[in-house]
Amino acid sequence: MSTGSLVFDGVWKKFNRGQRFDSIRDLVPAMVSSLTRRANASGLEQKEFWALQNVSFEVKAGEALGIIGPNGAGKSTALKVLTRLLRPDRGRSVVQGRVGALVEIAAGFHPDLTGRENVFMQGAIMGMKRAEIQRKFDDIVDFAGVGEFIDTPIKRYSSGMNARLGFAVAAHLEPDVLIIDEVLSVGDLSFQEKCYERMQQFVRSGIAVVFVSHNLSAISALCDRVLVLRQGQVQTLAPTQEAITVYAGMVQEAKVAEVGRHEVNVQALDADGSPITEVRGGAPITVRVSAYPPPDGRHFYAELQVRHLESGTVIYRCQSRAVGSEPLTLSPGEGLEAAWSIRANLGRGHYGLSCAILNDRHRWVAVSAPTLLTVNERESENALVYLDATCESRVLAPHEAAVTA
Amino acid sequence: MNNVARDLREMLHEQWEYRELLTQMTIRDLVVRYKQSVMGFGWAIFMPLMNTLIFSVVFTRVTTIETSTPYPVFAYTGLLFWNYFSSSLRFAANSLASNATLVQKIYFPREIFPFSAILVCLADLVVGASVLVLMMIYYRIAITPAILLLPVLLLIQTVLTAGISLLLAMANLFLRDVKYLLEMVLSLWMFATSVVYPMDQVGGNLGMVLKLNPMTPIIEGFRSVILLGKVPPVGPLAVASALAIAALGIGWVVFHRAEYKFAEFA
Repeated sequence: MSTGSLVFDGVWKKFNRGQRFDSIRDLVPAMVSSLTRRANASGLEQKEFWALQNVSFEVKAGEALGIIGPNGAGKSTALKVLTRLLRPDRGRSVVQGRVGALVEIAAGFHPDLTGRENVFMQGAIMGMKRAEIQRKFDDIVDFAGVGEFIDTPIKRYSSGMNARLGFAVAAHLEPDVLIIDEVLSVGDLSFQEKCYERMQQFVRSGIAVVFVSHNLSAISALCDRVLVLRQGQVQTLAPTQEAITVYAGMVQEAKVAEVGRHEVNVQALDADGSPITEVRGGAPITVRVSAYPPPDGRHFYAELQVRHLESGTVIYRCQSRAVGSEPLTLSPGEGLEAAWSIRANLGRGHYGLSCAILNDRHRWVAVSAPTLLTVNERESENALVYLDATCESRVLAPHEAAVTA
Repeated sequence: MNNVARDLREMLHEQWEYRELLTQMTIRDLVVRYKQSVMGFGWAIFMPLMNTLIFSVVFTRVTTIETSTPYPVFAYTGLLFWNYFSSSLRFAANSLASNATLVQKIYFPREIFPFSAILVCLADLVVGASVLVLMMIYYRIAITPAILLLPVLLLIQTVLTAGISLLLAMANLFLRDVKYLLEMVLSLWMFATSVVYPMDQVGGNLGMVLKLNPMTPIIEGFRSVILLGKVPPVGPLAVASALAIAALGIGWVVFHRAEYKFAEFA
């Protein structure tokens, strides 16, 4: 059992939004003006802002904490404080044990050096001893799958090979604390799967893990708890499913603000007609939309969109007229209601239901904000859809299969 | 004072922890330079040799000066060790800024950058020294037990270089003008040091100021132990050593305390 742990205790970090002064020409006026300026009540000078405000969490050995949040929420800043690249302005960050960081996994690579030379370089940067790298060298090359190219300068590598080699080095660290920043996006699908498996091994090996990602399915598979950051503040720190629900809610709010039109109302209902936000996979549901579209046209119809929030992919789209509901002719002031009956043949996860109203010219005249639907309890947890299959099995007689083939 | 002691312990401990990275970084820079330029290590010989040639023409044809040994070997020795000093400072000054990605993304003791820059130049010095050996054979200069002091002199120079390098690397990260300023200072400094001519004749106030320059006793020291086979005068070298140790002590502590800001500035 490892003894790594990390504590973030009321961490504040500020940044300067403005120009940096990195030449003497800029410095002199900046110094003069800084003499005449005072920090205001919030402890910030002009152009400064808090990237992290009073953020606290703790990760013990054997735990995995996910950090999610919209862009600019302070995730990377938190990681940089954890990896000692930045020092907090207030509060403290204490990391115990050997730290491994899957951040910028190829940062130490030099294009003119061969794969082999770079492995040793990157290993040393990540704090591995030469003998240790030597011992793991074959495994690293194997993992990266660069084989005979290991003695080629990496400027001749494809970007995928480069990233794979970088991850391979990192994957062979033996840290007590592991800090991971969105690195799953390297290489092709099969390599991503390999990275993912390796990360799961790390988590299972009983070390302390912090994982920053936008990939909610990876987060829910790897982490026990999730910290949701928003504008540098802790929005919530809760068990994974709960936190993801909060995050999905935030995304939804942001969408409303962005579109600025909420004339369209979307609701998910169960078989009895009562509104729901959670459903068991495979259960029948009704999605009802009601809207008073602007008088931009005469005939109107609705379109339903189901988005898988973890991956951001639209997985289903259906226009009312495609499933037998003709466009409606509306007089000014009249509204439209449409209801889709759906079987929620979806894998466990979070989905956004949204609707658009279209006019005669098939233009969107109104859009709803997404409504959150959480699907749980399904046998095939890691898959997206439930294909409602049936299956029969039987024993094959010797050589029977060969004959049919 | 306690703080300084704690910092010193932390600094040395970190360097020890990451000692293999220092080696690795030095090897990387050497290998890269060797691969990138046609002449590779040839530059380490070519530069001081070229300068020796120029100054030999100036000081034996244009005007003559009195030197303890034949002028070319006098000048080459001076230039070889001066080059170790000046190119270390140049290379180190730029070391943090040119490794900005690493400085921003991965934590390890940042002293590694200027230190490995110095080690790379030390490797150049060793290569360049081979020409010095050839010249000594040509001029039939024999070595004496005084040569055993060579590592001590090298240590004094390296300590001095390291101290200044740390300050320069840091300063150049915060203000990119520093490397241009450094060029100016270095050419002035070279002519204030007994690199290509002896300094002992300068008297008066200027002479007093020049005596504070630690590089003169160091370079004179090298000439003394290598070419003259004599133990150099201890007084000026002791002053130079004290300056070197002070430079490293101050440079390192200041560097260490500013280190956490580097990721924001790189």
